[in-house]
Amino acid sequence: MIELKNIKRTYKMGTEEVQALKGVSLTVEDGEYVAIMGSSGSGKSTLMNIIGCLDRPSSGQYSIDNQPVQALSEDELAGIRNRKIGFVFQQFNLLPRMSALENVCLPLFYANVPPEESAERAGTALAQVGLSDRLHHRPNQLSGGQQQRVSIARALVNRPHLILADEPTGALDSRTSAEIMTLLEDLHSQGKTIIVVTHEPEVASCAKRLIKLKDGELVFDASTNAAQF
Amino acid sequence: MLGIIIGIAAVIALLAIGQGAKIETDKQIQSLGTNVIFIRSGAANTGNVSLGVGTTNTLTLEDANAIGRICPAVENVVPGLQGPLQVQYGSLNTNTIVCGVTSEYPLVRNFHTARGRFFNGLDEQRSARICTLGQTVVETLFGDDDPIGKDVLIRGELFRVVGVMEHKGASMFVDQDDQVFIPLTTAINRLFGFRPSRGRSVGFIMCQAHSDDDVLPAVFQITNLLRLRHHIRPPFLDDFAVRTQAELMQTAETITTVFTILLGSTAAISLLVGGIGIMNIMLVSVTERTREIGVRKAIGARHRDILMQFVIEATVLSFTGGIIGVILGVVVSYVVAGILRWHTVVTPISVILSFGVSILIGMFFGIYPARQAARLNPIDALRTE
Repeated sequence: MIELKNIKRTYKMGTEEVQALKGVSLTVEDGEYVAIMGSSGSGKSTLMNIIGCLDRPSSGQYSIDNQPVQALSEDELAGIRNRKIGFVFQQFNLLPRMSALENVCLPLFYANVPPEESAERAGTALAQVGLSDRLHHRPNQLSGGQQQRVSIARALVNRPHLILADEPTGALDSRTSAEIMTLLEDLHSQGKTIIVVTHEPEVASCAKRLIKLKDGELVFDASTNAAQF
Repeated sequence: MLGIIIGIAAVIALLAIGQGAKIETDKQIQSLGTNVIFIRSGAANTGNVSLGVGTTNTLTLEDANAIGRICPAVENVVPGLQGPLQVQYGSLNTNTIVCGVTSEYPLVRNFHTARGRFFNGLDEQRSARICTLGQTVVETLFGDDDPIGKDVLIRGELFRVVGVMEHKGASMFVDQDDQVFIPLTTAINRLFGFRPSRGRSVGFIMCQAHSDDDVLPAVFQITNLLRLRHHIRPPFLDDFAVRTQAELMQTAETITTVFTILLGSTAAISLLVGGIGIMNIMLVSVTERTREIGVRKAIGARHRDILMQFVIEATVLSFTGGIIGVILGVVVSYVVAGILRWHTVVTPISVILSFGVSILIGMFFGIYPARQAARLNPIDALRTE
């Protein structure tokens, strides 16, 4: 469960202060499938970074599984990212010089999992996304959809509760997008909490709950049945 | 990495050359003979004025005889008188060192004739006009001809060649093969003139002690005897100088050590430059891989993980460079040995030292870029293209 209370985030741009988030409060229960929408500059990326523990709020309280985040050190945050959160990026962000298997092993390396076990778990994760025949391919030998599936496997391998996907289909065509969305849906049905940031209505429509941001404020929060896209 | 390779290769090659120089010098000093003591004329005292060392010949043939008679630790005594003179044969001539020595010279110096004979006691008694030539002199004057039995002209006097010395090589900046040996008596009586003031003066006296343990007693005995004979009392200083082989060795060792340090420090600077090269490579690498660092941080890499990654990469880089550098250094040492005909010795210590230093340099210069990498903000790092 994640809980945000009156989260504010201000950036300093030279002498000017820009408020990216102006007090957002939000609770996401375990097992929810949430889509966050908003135009560029609405603060959705900032919100995503805060939820992903990559950034800290300027004020307000944020807790994951009832653990307040602001008290934690950089390295403790790294530990949270490693164990509790799986990231899926728009640009995949795979390491180019490593094979699919090695890329998926990386979070386990930082979790101090022994090499044999991590290779096994990475293999399982890649099988789960349907890439067991591509273990030793490098990212540049894979299609965009395959690369994104590798990065989903990487997000899954350390068995986090929360999957954060930032525009996961932004760099894919519509057919592969659909494949990726099916994968996310499968994960949701397995009980993972999923938060997707997107500006595509088709992607958002897969989620069970829709949140809209505008100018750093939460302007819409409802289940997708009632949503207007 | 090229910097490290060149740095290490330079350290190893230059230390090998320095080490080779040391061994070469030691060998040359050993070639002077064993347990040899050299006595040179020192500063003569005229009234209270001290003249420089070697300005006058204060040693005499009688001094040499007295040493042989009186000093129990001394086995052989070879007095000598030498000077640069022109030697002629037919239409050819050469300027060389003419040494008047006694017949024990080959024994004391361990320097023998290759062909023919050295002169003996009888030749000395007769002040015979005979000579033994060094290899260089033979080559210059006779080419491929056999010099034995021929006559050469030294300062207007004819000398019959009776022998040719073996090849000895250069020692202490003097070509020992560019010498002509004649009996000392002949040198005093016919070539260098006879100064009746203090008897028959000689340029140097070489003594050989019975054994290694006798060298210091011999020095003591010789010094005291010569002080008595030259009427030297405090506060006057000795008008002669006694040097042992060990002292010469020590002096040479000091010189070659300075030489080695000089070469080594030059090489060390290039190693340092190599280290800075590694730092540059690593800084570029950090900039190029900012996004990778962002990804690693996002999936849970701690500050320490990133730091270690880049320090290890820098170390691997310098380690590889080190291995190539060691190989290159050894090759260069052998090439130098081949071209300069100079012995080079690659010591394990120089290899281990430079290799170890290169790894330390890699680590040291890797730390700064690694810290830059570890400090990156993951959001900014992910956003870079």
